[in-house]
Amino acid sequence: MKPRVILSISVVSLGLLIAAVPQNTTHPYKLTADQLLEEVKGRQQYFSPDELADMLVNKDPSIQLIDVRSADEFEKFSLPGAINIPLTDLLSDQYSDVLNQDVKMNIFYSNGTVDANQAWLITRQLGFENNFVLEGGLNHWVETIMNPEKPAATNPNEELARYDFRLAAGSALGGGGAVNAAIVATGDQGGAPKPIVKKPAKKKASGGC
Amino acid sequence: MESTKTDRSRRYLNPYLGGVLLGLVLIAANYVAGRGLGASGAVKSVIVAATDVIAPAHVKNNAYYSEYAKQHSSPLKNWLVFQMAGVLVGGFLSGALWGRLKLKVEHSPKITSRKRLLMAGTGGILFGFGSQLGRGCTSGSALSGMAVISVGGFITMAAIFGTAFMLAYFFRKNWI
Amino acid sequence: MGPLVVNEIISENTNFLLAFLIGIGFGLVLESSGFSSSRKLAGVFYGYDTVVLKVFFTAAITAMLGLLFMSLFGWIDLDLVYVNPAYIPSAIIGGVVMGGGFIIGGFCPGTSFCGAAIGKLDAMVFIGGLFIGVILFSETYGLWDKLYMAGFQGSPKLSESLGMSDGLFALFLILAAIGMFYVAEWAEKKFPREEY
Repeated sequence: MKPRVILSISVVSLGLLIAAVPQNTTHPYKLTADQLLEEVKGRQQYFSPDELADMLVNKDPSIQLIDVRSADEFEKFSLPGAINIPLTDLLSDQYSDVLNQDVKMNIFYSNGTVDANQAWLITRQLGFENNFVLEGGLNHWVETIMNPEKPAATNPNEELARYDFRLAAGSALGGGGAVNAAIVATGDQGGAPKPIVKKPAKKKASGGC
Repeated sequence: MESTKTDRSRRYLNPYLGGVLLGLVLIAANYVAGRGLGASGAVKSVIVAATDVIAPAHVKNNAYYSEYAKQHSSPLKNWLVFQMAGVLVGGFLSGALWGRLKLKVEHSPKITSRKRLLMAGTGGILFGFGSQLGRGCTSGSALSGMAVISVGGFITMAAIFGTAFMLAYFFRKNWI
Repeated sequence: MGPLVVNEIISENTNFLLAFLIGIGFGLVLESSGFSSSRKLAGVFYGYDTVVLKVFFTAAITAMLGLLFMSLFGWIDLDLVYVNPAYIPSAIIGGVVMGGGFIIGGFCPGTSFCGAAIGKLDAMVFIGGLFIGVILFSETYGLWDKLYMAGFQGSPKLSESLGMSDGLFALFLILAAIGMFYVAEWAEKKFPREEY
């Protein structure tokens, strides 16, 4: 047989095969340890409670709070608009659309920082973007937003202004602990467009011919 | 593809077999380094390295050099430089194997050696210039780019071969 | 799982050694396919020898298929593989200049190194020209930087732009390549040239 015929037959059959099978979409670890360390060092993953409160008060549509505590704890208390993805279920398929997307900024929170940070680390290593952590977790949130400490009158004006904001935000966001069901519902409406699933950002070898 | 030529130095690999082997080399490059093959990048590397030795201030002042020097700790410690060194060795080995090692100027009988060298130099200058503007040459941009289905690779490939086809008529004396 | 370097499976120095070995493979294949001869290379533009087209496209589809299958088996992460960025105007104009260089000089950079390795003086002169050309571009970069940076499109894949899967695209390219091979062999019969 002519080489051309042999080549044609083999590449066409392989081509048919590769066209028929689904594309491999598994995304293993994306970041090197160095890159991850850089991000951790830069504390780029953190949202402070004040930033978060500001966004919640303004009903910023670009954030999605994610409670990584257990379902029981979530039932008892959660932040407005939060959805519950227990850390143990983080890699479950049903949440991949939420965690790996390009539209909203996910903010993980737990009681302290550890569980939320672990969730961030895992998703970040998978190459998912747009995932963040609420700095200090719920404890810090309650301290600063729900029960802000009144600064002494001698403090600079910014401190006082921040206190006023926290007080207002705390009450607007239903301070005291009860879950505001209405806000939770608006944050996670069925009619909201499904986030577009995007491939993780590409960190590649440098090119060059 | 049975050749009637008996001269051993004119015997070449079957092009389809050669293509499959070249494809395997390209896969190896992608598997190891996450990039394809390249040639003009090695030239650029050497130039930046040499300029850095002769006139380091010039590298800093020239936007194109400094951008490159910034990305590479030492321009000579570059993947493509090592790869092109390998090409020289590989080409030499194959030439030795097939008895093709010979210092000569290859040209059409219709032109002189001198003209051929002049044309080769001119072509080299154009190719060197174009490869920088187009971010890669036939191997780096067109071939490697096509293997990873990049839009840029297909555009470069079409532009190179399209232009060469269009100009072929005007330079036919050089070749046939 | 590849790419080995990006995933830090091998060290930098191992990488350079492998680069050298891959280069040897590259050089061997190019030379034994006849890419060290400028008249053989230029033949594709006149139809008397289409080895360039055959080798080039066979290599492209082989590599494309190989990478797609390796990705399917989880051996390589294609998201980590370098995809050339697309700057449309500079890619076209650069390609046109390179096309001119190809038909005038008879080599492309990779093949000229190959030709030089077996003693082709014209290939060595071509390499000299390459150096001059690269220096010329760098020294006059200020004149071209706008063109160089214009029309950035990210690093799109043609399959994505056409809205098909990589596999389907590969199949179409394979069929197109085989079509070209038939035309090429027909051309070689039509424009034969025994000695060149």
